[in-house]
Amino acid sequence: MNVSCLQENLAKGLGIVGRAVALRSTLPITSNVLLASDGGRLKLAATNLEIALSCWVGAQVEEEGAITVPARLLIDFVNSLPNEKIEMTVAPRSRQLKLTCARSQATMSGVDADDFPPIPTVEDGASIELDPEELHTAISQVAISAATDDSRPVLVGVNCVVEGDQLTLAATDGFRLSVRHLSLSEPVSESLQIIIPARALVELNRLLPDETDPVVLQLNSTRTQVLFRLKNCELVTQLIQGTFPDYSQIIPEEHTTKAVIDVAEFLRETRTAAIFARDGSGIVRLQFTPGEDVAPGKLSISARAEEIGDNLSEIDAQIEGEADKIAFNSKYLQDYLQVLEGGRVAVEMSGPSRQGVLRPVGDDNFVHVLMPMVVQW
Amino acid sequence: MSETPRTIMHVDLDAFYVAVEQVRDPSLIGKPVIVGGDPDGRGVAATASYEARVFGVRSGMPLRTARRLCPQAIFLRGDYRAYGRVSKLFHGILRDYSPIVQPMGLDEAYLDLTGCEPVVMSLAGVSEAEVATPETLGSVAGKSIRHRVREDLKIAASVGVASGRSVAKIASDAAKPDGLLVVPFGQEAEFLEQRPVRDLPGLGPKAESELARQGVRTLGQLAALPESQLRSLFGQAGRSLAQRARGFDTEAVPADRDPAKSVSREGTYAEDIVDRQVLLATLRGFAESVGAELRRSKMRTRCVTLKLRYGDFTTITRSHTLDRPAFADDVLYEETAALLDRALAEDGRAVRLIGLGTSNFTDDSVQLDLFNSQEQDEEVLLHNIDRLRQKYGRRVLETGLTFFDENSSDEDYSPDRRTGLSSQIGLKKEDGR
Repeated sequence: MNVSCLQENLAKGLGIVGRAVALRSTLPITSNVLLASDGGRLKLAATNLEIALSCWVGAQVEEEGAITVPARLLIDFVNSLPNEKIEMTVAPRSRQLKLTCARSQATMSGVDADDFPPIPTVEDGASIELDPEELHTAISQVAISAATDDSRPVLVGVNCVVEGDQLTLAATDGFRLSVRHLSLSEPVSESLQIIIPARALVELNRLLPDETDPVVLQLNSTRTQVLFRLKNCELVTQLIQGTFPDYSQIIPEEHTTKAVIDVAEFLRETRTAAIFARDGSGIVRLQFTPGEDVAPGKLSISARAEEIGDNLSEIDAQIEGEADKIAFNSKYLQDYLQVLEGGRVAVEMSGPSRQGVLRPVGDDNFVHVLMPMVVQW
Repeated sequence: MSETPRTIMHVDLDAFYVAVEQVRDPSLIGKPVIVGGDPDGRGVAATASYEARVFGVRSGMPLRTARRLCPQAIFLRGDYRAYGRVSKLFHGILRDYSPIVQPMGLDEAYLDLTGCEPVVMSLAGVSEAEVATPETLGSVAGKSIRHRVREDLKIAASVGVASGRSVAKIASDAAKPDGLLVVPFGQEAEFLEQRPVRDLPGLGPKAESELARQGVRTLGQLAALPESQLRSLFGQAGRSLAQRARGFDTEAVPADRDPAKSVSREGTYAEDIVDRQVLLATLRGFAESVGAELRRSKMRTRCVTLKLRYGDFTTITRSHTLDRPAFADDVLYEETAALLDRALAEDGRAVRLIGLGTSNFTDDSVQLDLFNSQEQDEEVLLHNIDRLRQKYGRRVLETGLTFFDENSSDEDYSPDRRTGLSSQIGLKKEDGR
């Protein structure tokens, strides 16, 4: 192999695929990165056997070939080089990658590319096109609600349902639920439902801000893997098999109190309260008082830690219905408020032990349900 | 640490269970009486009257041994419900004297009387001058408490007063039976000097024999040991042990409101048990009483522990950390049952003792589950069951498992009448002593 490319491009490509490198694996080669000439470009790939990331970098290919080398070593070395041309060569039948850049040189012992786990080719199944910016927002809003522990495997995933011209993403860890609708540019002929690991979508989300062209979601025919095709990258992930819980009945249709609050103020005061909440069980208490005559309604946000102290702040709120109170896990509330892009949020509730429903004002496509904490008031 | 000397009192009821039995049946007075159960069974003596102690019977001694030593003794199974009632009255009396009372079981407690002069003056009907020093305060309060316990409960109480808990406890032991001993402040070391090391609370038989091997038999000798030797013998605890042997004990009496650090229940079977169903039924009963105690204390547990002791006394404990803090009987039962199955898969020998413990508590606040809306209803149900049982006794409501279980007991503190599963609930505070 003899391939040359710019340090900047190689570093960027390695930064992308490096995210899929296995950290602690029983299969040592998965902590390597694959380098291969591929039709006038250099292909980089890494996989932890759950997800695989591939990236293509513009290169000058003098001689075709492929090798795998330890990812950490290659990434750290390339990042330390000046932004000049890097020449990578592998002598025939050798397992050593030789890098030359400006006046630096390095040799790395590698492993034969044939031993690298094959990156699945995903084709034959259904495919849809998605707007990268909308997808990016949707993933951030939904991924916060996915479970992080494996006790219920389907809950570490994001449920994706495609029906007509709509894609619905939903995730829940059992305590909170995010549901987000996206419209498709073209309706699909056949509906479909898959569960994508939230971790894979979070990786995808790192790549989306740079994309301008539609992102292709491609399924294989057996619906066990999904491929996201970007301009110069591809992400393949295993799908989660199982039944996602039916969440439709847990979004209440009615409420007795509705409060509309400025997101930035709400987030700021929640963060303040969280400082006191962190010594307790992370509880923030919200009390909603409707306005009277000329006085505006208010939301008071408080937290207390036994034998340490407490805090209380008030912000204006537009409140319809009865005075009410509810306590939430401060982390969950912050997670949610952080993924809103400013504006105002409506909180709907029916008493301190019923779920709260949060919706950004003016955006009907995103619903968040937050289960309260039962506390002594 | 406070600069002013504290007045610490230890009150201990003399031969408590026997004393209660003697109140109920005066014909027992003056006779050797042993409370603990069937002398042919394998229980232990819970209490022996002083008349029985003359023959060498001690509490904690296997009943068979007790019978050999004192065949003429009257053996009683014990009515733990009655003892519990009397105990409540006893602790109630103590709380009249000080807000800081640390119960150490049914029949003893520590009190911190510091600053309680006005209360003691009015209860004992004495002038300010009579409670002017820590020693006189303790002495006046001790006399008054002993008098009230005798009047109200017809039971003798022994009282020790000192500047710290260890010395107060040793003093009350020294005052027994039916006595009061005040250790003058500043003379703790002299008081302890000639006493055997085993008198020091928290020093077990193992430590005692270890010390004996080093030629250390009295607390005076223990206090004189160089620090390095103490550390090699007892690790970190060595320093405080030596200090306490010198009569220096600054540890405060924890106020009653200090929450328990663990709640557990365990019991020994009359015969070793192999049948998994029996073990499960016992666990279910324990889960219910531990659960009720957690709910009463408004606490949830993060950790459940199973304890098993096999016939040969090898003891294992297996713990599991819960995803979510819980106090529901079902959760406690299911988690320990899973631990039991795993433990039995490893070692399926017959079980002598089984226990269920909970620790690492959170307060009552809990994150509700989106998909389990029954959770709250279940909690309301549990609280209602607790109320019913409190009013009508435990057997008023039973789950299928315990209904057919002969080992399940009528009352939390009572050893079972039929199979002799003797069990007790334990609440451990920060201080393990």
